[in-house]
Amino acid sequence: MVNKTLYLTAALIVLCLVFVAVNGIGAVKIEFKEIIAIIASKVPVLGKGITGGWKETHETILVQVRLPRTLLAVLVGACLSVAGAIYQGIFKNPLADPYIIGASSGAALGAALAIFLSLNLSFLGIGAVSMLAFLTSILAVFLVYNMARVGHRVPVLTLLLAGIALSSFLSAVVSLLTYLSGDKLGHIIFWMMGSLSSRSWSYVYSTLVSFLAGILIAFYYARDLNILLLGEDTAVHLGIETERVKKILLATASILTAASVASSGLIGFVGLIIPHTVRIAVGPDHRWLIPASALTGGTFLLLADTIARTVFAPTELPVGIVTAMFGGPFFIYLLKKRKTSY
Amino acid sequence: MAETFIEVLGISCSYAAEPVLEGVKLSVRKGDFLGIIGPNGSGKSTLIKAISRVLKPAQGTVYLDGREVYSMSPREAARLMAVVSQMTGINFDFTVEEIVLMGRHPHAKNLRKETREDLAKVGWALEVTKTSHLRKRLITELSGGELQRVVIARALAQDTSVLLLDEPTSHLDINHQVEILDLIKELNRNQNLTVIVVLHDLNLASQYCDLLILLNRGRIHAMGKPCEVVTQKNIRNVYRSPVIIKEHPVYGCPQVTLLSKRDGHLRDRGMKIHLVCGGGVAGLLMERLVFEGFEVSAGTLNIGDADWEKARVFNLELEEAAPFSPVTEKNLESTLKLMERADVVVVASIPYGHGNLKNLVAVKRAQERGKRVILVDGTPIRERDYTGGKASAICAELIEKGAVVVDSTVELLAKLQEIEPAVRKTRSRTI
Repeated sequence: MVNKTLYLTAALIVLCLVFVAVNGIGAVKIEFKEIIAIIASKVPVLGKGITGGWKETHETILVQVRLPRTLLAVLVGACLSVAGAIYQGIFKNPLADPYIIGASSGAALGAALAIFLSLNLSFLGIGAVSMLAFLTSILAVFLVYNMARVGHRVPVLTLLLAGIALSSFLSAVVSLLTYLSGDKLGHIIFWMMGSLSSRSWSYVYSTLVSFLAGILIAFYYARDLNILLLGEDTAVHLGIETERVKKILLATASILTAASVASSGLIGFVGLIIPHTVRIAVGPDHRWLIPASALTGGTFLLLADTIARTVFAPTELPVGIVTAMFGGPFFIYLLKKRKTSY
Repeated sequence: MAETFIEVLGISCSYAAEPVLEGVKLSVRKGDFLGIIGPNGSGKSTLIKAISRVLKPAQGTVYLDGREVYSMSPREAARLMAVVSQMTGINFDFTVEEIVLMGRHPHAKNLRKETREDLAKVGWALEVTKTSHLRKRLITELSGGELQRVVIARALAQDTSVLLLDEPTSHLDINHQVEILDLIKELNRNQNLTVIVVLHDLNLASQYCDLLILLNRGRIHAMGKPCEVVTQKNIRNVYRSPVIIKEHPVYGCPQVTLLSKRDGHLRDRGMKIHLVCGGGVAGLLMERLVFEGFEVSAGTLNIGDADWEKARVFNLELEEAAPFSPVTEKNLESTLKLMERADVVVVASIPYGHGNLKNLVAVKRAQERGKRVILVDGTPIRERDYTGGKASAICAELIEKGAVVVDSTVELLAKLQEIEPAVRKTRSRTI
């Protein structure tokens, strides 16, 4: 374990530096100073005095193409990591991930349906695929929650099993849709591998709303989440309304997950590996774990996406492949390095 | 002090239609140290769960300090009562201090930082549980005994007036068991903490608790002081296990000694024995007879006599006389009735004075009415006759009229075995 404040400060600084740096990478190189100047000029009030000194095309590329993508990468990485931290806490299992109770398969069904039916709607700049994915993701979790309900209680083990059951069913439907989709097959598969390419500012804003709401609620219930790790009976004894807190936290984590999935498809491993790694660094206290996971997750996905869009440029790799390729071996390394069972 | 602090009003709980508690009623006063004992599945843990709001009873309710616990907010309830549940593994690397600080949650607002009072209470809790040195250690690295102390520290940090504990000493070595219970007892005495504890170990329960509840299949089988609850009869009936109850050599509380079921101890021999004893010399004989499965009655015994105490521990049917007083005519009549109900009258090798000579007279009358008599003559009668020969004379008369004389307990048991079939026959005839 390292000093918690130090970790948080370092993670924030690293995120900022990486953010600026990766925005310069691409077919067109943009200087570090230029990026800072352009970003600064966009800041309301304070940025008023900053003008000129950079190429017009650079500004256009940065503002229209790179910034929305990199910002979205940070947000999605943060959302998935915070959601992962919450799920791991609720399930008292450090190996839980944001997709564990059906959010991913629900989203996949929505996306596959939208692609299959060639829905061409859009609302506030958000496409039908995203909207439908978001809704079905939430719907799937809602269904799982109600399937798992026993009287007034929702035991976490039942929740887990209901999640697995519904997920396999939905996956089968998605497979069927994919099989029948003909020339749209590639589209569905590509969506399921996850990608952040060509997303507009609308996606950034919508994800940002979910992220802010989610992290604030999660932070407010951080102490309750700590106590839930001691077991639900103990949590009751310590004055926690376990069922209510669980419900709120599940809803929060699910919205965070749905927002990520809706804007970028299924990106695996981030929500599992980031909270887990961060926990090794700052310990299991969610008051630290949640903000630290957000910062670390944001940086991780930002780096992964940069690799995805640059290694085989101009061909793009689905970012889900990159996260899994780096995440998998790293995770195994962590497991081996730890003395205890997790 | 005397007023009821926790009141459990006829609660019934069930898991999936299977009743676990049925109409349990009890009241606990402030500062009480109450133990809950009973076999596996008798509802001990469920009772703790019902009191601590984890499992809402289907019927009945629980009052704490005059208020219904189920109408309180979770935080309010947690400020009044703390619970140490059965140990469960924690997979996450919290430090000991972080865990104990969680005990302050009922006193804190969600986003507020720890106050000085919180830290002071945590420091105190760590100190009394002797875990201060573990403060920065990870909870996952502690031994069972250390972990249990930390969990108790967390409950103490909650700063409540009630502490519920569900088997706080299972999985612990004997030294740790005693340490934990000493700690709880100390808190009970010094802080006037009201303690309700589920214990598996009957001996520890009887040694540490002021009051005991014996649960059997979800009902209260017995309730009271340890000497009233931990009796041969209760334990045999509830645990269906042969035991001997003896006094603790130092504390005087009842202690349970287990016997193997395989040896057939305490199987019901269907034979009643009246034992004439007293003066504290027949304790071992009495124990052996009970142990062998005879239904034993005793008397007349002076209250306070060592044999009287033993007979009380075994819950024998008993005729008693006032301390250091002679056996009265009324005692004699009652004793004779006990003898008549017995199949055999056994006279232990006890000394006779003018005070207890009437016991021998009773034996004589019983023999006259056809009762079998066996005299245990470990020490010759002359040497224990303080009645100027009267006792010896009656003994001689008894022998003359067919009383059997044996020298030792072993011989007595052999004799009893020998006459068992004959006794059975006589009994079936009389019935």
